[in-house]
Amino acid sequence: MIIPTQEIMQPNHLACPGCGAALAMRYALKALGRKTIIVIPACCWTVINGPWGKNYAGVPVFHTAFETTAAVAAGIRTSLEAQGKNDITVMGWAGDGGTFDIGLQALSGAAERNDDIIYVCYDNEAYMNTGIQRSSATPVGAETTTTPAPLLKDRPKKDLMEIVAAHSVPYIASATIAYPTDFIKKFEKAKSKRGFKLIHIFSPCPPGHKFAENKTIDVSKLAVETGIFPLYEIEDGVYKINKKPKFRPIEEYLSLQGRFKNIPKEQMRAIEEAIQMKWQRLQAKAEYLK
Amino acid sequence: MKKLVLGGNDAVAYAVKQSRVDVVSAYPITPQTSIIEKVASFIAKGEINTKFIRVESEHSAMAAAMGASASGSRVFTATSSQGLLLMHEVLHWAAGAGLPIVMANANRAVAPPWSIWAEQTDSLSQRDTGWIQLYASNSQEVYDLVFIAFRLAEASLTPVMICMDGFLLTHTKEPVEVFDNEIDEFISYKPERDILDVDKPKAFGALAFPKDYMPIRIKQHEKMLGSIDKFKTIADEFSLISKRSYGPIYQYGNENAKLAIVVSGSISETAHLSVDALNDEGIPSKLVKITMFRPFPKEALKKSLDGVDKIVVFDRNISMGKGGIFKDEIVGSLGLGNVVGVVCGLGGYDVNDMDIKETAKSVFEGKIKQDTILWGEK
Ligand SMILES: Cc1ncc(C[n+]2csc(CCOP(=O)(O)OP(=O)(O)O)c2C)c(N)n1
Ligand code: SF4
Repeated sequence: MIIPTQEIMQPNHLACPGCGAALAMRYALKALGRKTIIVIPACCWTVINGPWGKNYAGVPVFHTAFETTAAVAAGIRTSLEAQGKNDITVMGWAGDGGTFDIGLQALSGAAERNDDIIYVCYDNEAYMNTGIQRSSATPVGAETTTTPAPLLKDRPKKDLMEIVAAHSVPYIASATIAYPTDFIKKFEKAKSKRGFKLIHIFSPCPPGHKFAENKTIDVSKLAVETGIFPLYEIEDGVYKINKKPKFRPIEEYLSLQGRFKNIPKEQMRAIEEAIQMKWQRLQAKAEYLK
Repeated sequence: MKKLVLGGNDAVAYAVKQSRVDVVSAYPITPQTSIIEKVASFIAKGEINTKFIRVESEHSAMAAAMGASASGSRVFTATSSQGLLLMHEVLHWAAGAGLPIVMANANRAVAPPWSIWAEQTDSLSQRDTGWIQLYASNSQEVYDLVFIAFRLAEASLTPVMICMDGFLLTHTKEPVEVFDNEIDEFISYKPERDILDVDKPKAFGALAFPKDYMPIRIKQHEKMLGSIDKFKTIADEFSLISKRSYGPIYQYGNENAKLAIVVSGSISETAHLSVDALNDEGIPSKLVKITMFRPFPKEALKKSLDGVDKIVVFDRNISMGKGGIFKDEIVGSLGLGNVVGVVCGLGGYDVNDMDIKETAKSVFEGKIKQDTILWGEK
């Protein structure tokens, strides 16, 4: 596959160096093209897209309240339909906080109605915009400003993909920027389908996860290779695993990131067990639900 | 034009049908629900070409309305009480974004304790969200104000809320004069505005530093103030078609009144009788009804209340720890010392013409000097 050369997202945006979310938007827009309207709630992307008068995304952006992404996107889609404008992609683009937590109700509403939008969650596993507090997407063992050591996050990360899958929507996929062709293919597929689509992007964040800004792709890749973030799709209820993890030792992933520096050994083992459990379930679904 | 017997909710739905609304996004709540049910039935019967987003909450109703409006559609929604309160953050957002959404609010008391009956505390607690608020006093006004509201919202790029007392207005049927197609030209006019457009990729609502934020907000304030004149112009245009005239305030009774009864909402209908009775008893009196509240019709009220000896404001609402909200606004805005506030009718408590008359008379005669409460135990 050839990655489109066109650049819609503009340079000079305000993301931190090495921000996974900035790269993710760049790739997403390559796949979706200029006929796209984006809804952005309160999150890092509020800042990344530039202050008043700027718009680094390069396509129309509606900045909205933290918990309203899916509902606003649904309103835009319906409005475009009412006006007979049927060739425009409407994309909600929210962080994990705006998706897993405060925005979950609107997300569920739009998924249940099967509104024709692409909902993207770029998941940096914490509230980064407000200074790295825990969200329900924060993994076990991670340190955040509201889970300072030794009170590390001790509850498992919510399973967004499975929550949305329970709504019987046409397309759900996980992706990360270390695999650009897989990433772009998924956005192209989402664009081509009608109805509600969710793309869950694992989005490393150097200041939040505490790693050097040239390690973003390594962290993304290791998340997949250790099995912590499996790449898979659920298309009309059919599960497809896109990449079998190598199950590299979890330490390789954790030790790259300062947020896990205080993780106790037993929590590390618990993560390994959770990875295996999730993998077996996923595999069973991929076998069974083909 | 023809006469139909309609409740306020029917009147709204009928006007929405005739207003060429592109998108409705709404969530049910008593006593608003029959508006959206009726709109849904118009759609189901193919009588209108409107898209209906059946959202999962009022919060999403306003959010979806906002998305639909930002991308160029004419949008309507309706709510009441707890639903309106749930929308609060998004109301600010819609107004700040300059989106001409029209919403009907069935004024209903706020829990606890649960109450489904009339009270204006719900909409008045949204006073500072940047929405134009229009208060109707009968079904005809409700019907007419929907058309005016769309034109006003689109002319001033500010959302408009039409408020009507729950059950007293929403469900009480009365004859309403409705248009056949006389209104078509009036309502089909839509000025150009900035919308989400893939050919002009702009960002709406981005982060503004203080040097940008303040002027943007001041502009919004000025736009709101300017909507008083826009309301007059649009209402004049409307009166050519309907032969019914509207203004920021409405007056009735003795032009040289020494006593003014100020109200807003359905109490206005009742207070007509009280004013008649007071005039018959030789106390020159008038009724002043506030229709437009936000922007505050200061000049009109000043003109109307200048030279009046005593002013009594009947408030079907309460700001806890202070009292009636309209009373406070009038005193604060006009700097008057001859105003007595009467809190009444909370949670649908009956307010009758005799009580209004007697209370106002007591104020006039100097027997009531302080703000008071009007209710059954008196
Ligand atoms: C109703 C509301 N509550 C809280 C906030 C404060 N707030 C703004 S952004 C944010 C965190 C966003 O986190 P996430 O969605 O994960 O995106 P990220 O910042 O990590 O990109 C919070 C809590 C808000 N804007 N609105
Ligand atoms: S804090 Fe993290 S997610 Fe936010 S802009 Fe910086 S790198 Fe990106």
